[in-house]
Amino acid sequence: MLDLIVKAVAYSSCIGIGAAAIALIYSATKTFNFAHASLVSWGMYVMFAGTYLLGYTPYLYIPFTILVGAALGLVIYGGVNRWLLKAKASEINLMMSTLGADLVLFGFLNIYSDYLLQTYKIPAKYFVLEVKDVVFKIGDVNIRLIGIIAPLILVTIVILLHMFLTKTKIGIAMRASIENPDLASISGVNIDLTYVLAWLIGGGLAALSGGLLSLVVTGYTAAGMTMIVSFFAGAIVGGLYSIFGSLLGGLLVGLSEFLGITLLASIVGGWIYAYRPAIPLAALAITLLLKPEGLAGFFVKVRE
Amino acid sequence: MIPPEILLIIINFAIGLIITISLNIEVGLLNIPQFGRLLAVIIGAIVAAAVPGRILAVMLGYPWGVEYADHMYNFKIVAGINKVLANNPLLSIGIFILTLIIAALLGGLIGYLCAYPAIRLKLAYLGITLLAFGDLVVTIAWNYEPLVGGTTGVFVIDPFIFTGPAMRFTVAAFITLIVALALYVYAELLVRSPYGRMLKAIRDSEIAAGIYGKDIVKAKKQILIIGGAMAAVAGALWALFTGSMKAVTYTRLQWTFWPWAFMMLGGVGNNSGIFIGVLIYTIVRFLIIVYKGVISTIVGVSPEWLEYILVGLLIIIIVLFRPQGLLPEKPTYSIPTRKIVSIIKRVEEEGGK
Repeated sequence: MLDLIVKAVAYSSCIGIGAAAIALIYSATKTFNFAHASLVSWGMYVMFAGTYLLGYTPYLYIPFTILVGAALGLVIYGGVNRWLLKAKASEINLMMSTLGADLVLFGFLNIYSDYLLQTYKIPAKYFVLEVKDVVFKIGDVNIRLIGIIAPLILVTIVILLHMFLTKTKIGIAMRASIENPDLASISGVNIDLTYVLAWLIGGGLAALSGGLLSLVVTGYTAAGMTMIVSFFAGAIVGGLYSIFGSLLGGLLVGLSEFLGITLLASIVGGWIYAYRPAIPLAALAITLLLKPEGLAGFFVKVRE
Repeated sequence: MIPPEILLIIINFAIGLIITISLNIEVGLLNIPQFGRLLAVIIGAIVAAAVPGRILAVMLGYPWGVEYADHMYNFKIVAGINKVLANNPLLSIGIFILTLIIAALLGGLIGYLCAYPAIRLKLAYLGITLLAFGDLVVTIAWNYEPLVGGTTGVFVIDPFIFTGPAMRFTVAAFITLIVALALYVYAELLVRSPYGRMLKAIRDSEIAAGIYGKDIVKAKKQILIIGGAMAAVAGALWALFTGSMKAVTYTRLQWTFWPWAFMMLGGVGNNSGIFIGVLIYTIVRFLIIVYKGVISTIVGVSPEWLEYILVGLLIIIIVLFRPQGLLPEKPTYSIPTRKIVSIIKRVEEEGGK
């Protein structure tokens, strides 16, 4: 049971980080980021390639996942999103452009995975990094380090983001331009810079969540695409406009996926395990139909 | 005798056309972000896999309950049914039409259910909800074995089998193409009708259309029902053509995002643009498949991944440089342009007198 809880905490922390990334990009640029899926997968492969090619513990490569993700986010912004925002493209076109970016990133990731497989003969199609995780004992229970590291990183991100958004000048400017871009630009805020920052941080967090997830679930190139619904559900359960709300939403969705299904299985029987992917969908549907403003609606008063 | 390569192009084109047209009715005419096209398509495929086979199983005295979808019995039952269908063209045609009707009805029902979120949510929220519902149905079909066999899938009865093994695929492909062209004509008539112009008015400005007394909620419901029914027919035709149904082959990418790419390539809101978009894409994709070996030796990477990159770049380039597509939407007139010109001429002449 404890093992399950540790895994659930690690998994839901990752989903929370990813959901916050989606919310950050959406609230800053009005772009619903489909490329999130491939950013997550890229994060996984950075961890995997580092661990298998250079050795040492996987945790060493966490900063690199952030760097790669931020770089890819910057490429998407500079290559596509920037011009569409300038042309005031519709929300659907913004979504579609990130879908295009997602397919491109997915294609390159697969080429990279083929390259790893052929050149280094490492299992780049499917890999389980869990085996490289550090395990230590508390009493007679084995605890894997990811169950502690992932929530720690989550808390660190919350603190850092909060400090950034409330204490630094650029962070405050960013918040201002999220709330009202026109007014912020009149006041002399460089809107372009806030967009860049949103994509940098958003991309970095997306890849980071993928990197951490590689220590929880099996990694493969389409892993991001498979899990994307959980991220979306987390972001929408949290409210999509609120970064911390989405983070919380992601945590909730992740926990309900692991613990909720175990609870249900103990009531109705083991066959329910197969329907685990339905849990984030149910959370999504219930939130949208009952409380569309999400968790954020509970603690932020939206002024009409 | 038509070579199988051409048949492959025809069937892919026909199925792609139906789905993209159905997508265009919803996206192009009413601006509904339909990211859950997969939902109606897989419902159609489930109908084709689960319903006609069971009807015939009851008629012919085979087990039709849980056993029908069980992989130990399914292939025997379907083989038995196919043997009967091979000697009975009338029954085959009847069951084929019945399948399409049931698929359209259920697809319409799905569209009606989608209207519940569609009239309450906006853009990104709605798109993600529809996308999630599509994935939910795939999960259920993949895990709930009594429906369509779960992970093992089921065989689908073959209403084209009476045409003989040599002609079977040719006939099936051309019938699918005929259905696709008929639906294309229907969509074109819909766009040109007063109803279609009302839809475009709603799309361009909901407030203005509302002021003129147009029922926006009703229009959205109707369009979602029509779109869902068409997509379900496409799903049913595909399952009947391939002769098998496996839930996991119905992916978000192939049945939602690819049609979106076709639609954006051809021109959102314009049926003839979509016709060309689907045709170009089908042929290019076919060429990639045929010259797989050549491409991979030249480029050094698997062409499968190259396809993803190309489609991704295509979407980006269209959105960036030509958001209106290859053939931009043109205003549609209720009467032919020739008539309008002659009317203008007559009015001018009368004015001169």
